[in-house]
Amino acid sequence: MTVDWGWFPDHVDDLTTLTFDHLSTAVPAVLFGLLIAVPLAVIAHRVRPLRGVLLGLSNVLFTIPSIAIFVLLLPITGLTRTTAITGLTIYTLTVLLRNTVEGLDSVPAKAREASTAMGARPLRTLLTVELPLAFPVIMAGVRVSSVMAISLVSVASYIGYGGLGQLFTDGFQRNYPTPVVAGVVLSLLLALVADAVLVAIQWLCTPWLRRRA
Amino acid sequence: MNRRKLLGGLLAGASVPTLAACSGGITSLKGDGAGGGQGGGSSAGGLVIGTANFTENQLLGYLYAEALGGAGIKTSVRPNLGSREIVIPALQQGDIDLLPEYQGNLLLHFDDKAPQTQAGDLQNALTVALPNGLEALSYAAAEDKDVFCVTRETADKHGLRSFSDLKKQNGKLVFGGPAEDKNRVVGLVGLKNRYGVTFKEFKALDASGPLVKGALKKGDVDVANLFSTDPDIEANGWVILADPKALIPAQHIVPVIRGAKADTKVRKALAKLGGALTTHELARLNKLVDKEKKDPDEVAADWAADHGLTKK
Amino acid sequence: MIELLTNLGHWLTSGAQWSGPDGIATRLLEHLQYSALATLVAALIALPVGLLIGHTGRGAFLAINLSGFGRALPTVGLVTLVFLASGLSMWPVYVSLVALAVPVIVTNTYAGMAAVDPEVRDAARGQGMRWHQVLFQVELPLALPLIMTGLRLACTQVVATATIAAYVSFGGLGRYVFDGLAQRDLVQVLGGAVLVAVLAIALDLALAAVQRLAFRNRPAPSQAH
Repeated sequence: MTVDWGWFPDHVDDLTTLTFDHLSTAVPAVLFGLLIAVPLAVIAHRVRPLRGVLLGLSNVLFTIPSIAIFVLLLPITGLTRTTAITGLTIYTLTVLLRNTVEGLDSVPAKAREASTAMGARPLRTLLTVELPLAFPVIMAGVRVSSVMAISLVSVASYIGYGGLGQLFTDGFQRNYPTPVVAGVVLSLLLALVADAVLVAIQWLCTPWLRRRA
Repeated sequence: MNRRKLLGGLLAGASVPTLAACSGGITSLKGDGAGGGQGGGSSAGGLVIGTANFTENQLLGYLYAEALGGAGIKTSVRPNLGSREIVIPALQQGDIDLLPEYQGNLLLHFDDKAPQTQAGDLQNALTVALPNGLEALSYAAAEDKDVFCVTRETADKHGLRSFSDLKKQNGKLVFGGPAEDKNRVVGLVGLKNRYGVTFKEFKALDASGPLVKGALKKGDVDVANLFSTDPDIEANGWVILADPKALIPAQHIVPVIRGAKADTKVRKALAKLGGALTTHELARLNKLVDKEKKDPDEVAADWAADHGLTKK
Repeated sequence: MIELLTNLGHWLTSGAQWSGPDGIATRLLEHLQYSALATLVAALIALPVGLLIGHTGRGAFLAINLSGFGRALPTVGLVTLVFLASGLSMWPVYVSLVALAVPVIVTNTYAGMAAVDPEVRDAARGQGMRWHQVLFQVELPLALPLIMTGLRLACTQVVATATIAAYVSFGGLGRYVFDGLAQRDLVQVLGGAVLVAVLAIALDLALAAVQRLAFRNRPAPSQAH
């Protein structure tokens, strides 16, 4: 198995396009995942009986092969990027939901009580006290699910929306390792960079943790 | 879903030609491009070309893009979407607008009892069989047929020359092809009904790709469904079994398009391409992509320029 | 939707669907075989590494970050690469499944070892225990709950991902998913997916039961630290 190094400089444009393609599937998936997971986590945190049900369901979702999720979405969302994004969103929910619930759990009762004592309504307490305090744990979940989403985009190549994963299909069909190597390396790099960016965002968003450290 | 897609979907479902002809008018009312309208639909908004999951189809998709680009029509290509069972519904839903297809297999997809085997008959039958909203345009000179192959050793060992010979080995041989072959006429269904051939096992592999060819080479399968334009058949000296009862119909390359996008410009551009693209040329281009690892889009661009479809 | 579920019910309960070389029974066994072997090999590689790093404290950075790397590695790409290198064989399947499971087990094993109270470790050494006695009689039992968590997580991921065997022409429950995709037979896809999920959950519950049995006669190790 030899890698044809001359291929890389000739395909900078293609690789750039595919990388953006990759991101435009992974990034919305994590964002939508958060939009769904945070409210669900608040419910799971407040309504104890629902907690086990919601966490259990999200764990079950995790055991379904991702390729099957994409295929099962075909009749609903068609052969579109929406299918790829929706499938990945479902997959990010497990980690995001669990971490957000754990984050909310980690908020000291005293902080909550103090806020309530000061006359804050529950929604205000949630937005100004609980979620900021839970932020580091939630961000840990965002990091894990982002890395996962970036590596899983390639599964959507079975329905033609795999971003860098399209290189895997291409290399497979033509018995040509070079594009596959390019796809694996870029996908890994992308995950690494995304993780670093999220660490930076977390650092910027939590000045109170920095001062303490 | 944006409004244009919704509208496209509605129009694709329109049952009367005159209704489809309105699409140009409605589209221009919405202001996304003037003109078009001629010949049923309008290509003014550009076309999304989808392709199935094998390299030749990718190449054809890019050839279509070149030919249309040469005629001033904007396109984008979505390669490797899946089998016919996946891409045709996507075309009907308007997720894609244009597909490179193969006459006979396309017809059998919609009418699995269709008796036609000759290119001209197939084209007429397609016009009738295609669901409302889809249209088959002029077919190419080039043909890529499904072929069922065995290795030279297997052919000699069992005296296999044609599909009829397979019957003597009923229940003993292993057949390999893409998963969809299990339910297709050009596949297990036709071999059984037309020739009375049954196999010991069916192995779901890929469409003339590395899995089925690897399995044939290794002896994991005895009979393999390949494509006649595949350069590996000749390279490995595999034997193409004859089809005396004409189970496999003609398979000229044919563009299938959503009627809403089919105007005179598109028709002419693709007909011109079809006239220039011969089987020999297609096989040669496949070799460039599969064997010499040239990019299908570049191979297509060079070929289109060489044949006057685009300006150099 | 209701029609799909009804058909799924038929698919899952019809006798014909369960028997034969393409039957559920065969596919289930194949899937179990791929998953079990991959998890076993992964454990054989990952446990010593995790224990060693945990015991010596060297390579902690690697142990902590390995699971992130494992998550970032696109399995489809790895399968394809190994396929192109090895041809039509089981190697692509096993290599990628093991590569998926090893990081999870290493990280959790290390985490379990790191959570052992240093005072307990020192006390054991103070009693004159040799390094292997400290490792196997003191640290390992204390780290076991987290090690088991790692094994369970790895097992779940391997079962869900063993679907990929079908992509490179082999069997297992992934056959239904990939063939169903090619034939646009959603009932088959859904059936395959449900069976994979049920298998993953069943194995997880089984491992949890093993874990409980193993700790039945022992005081619960203090996880508070």
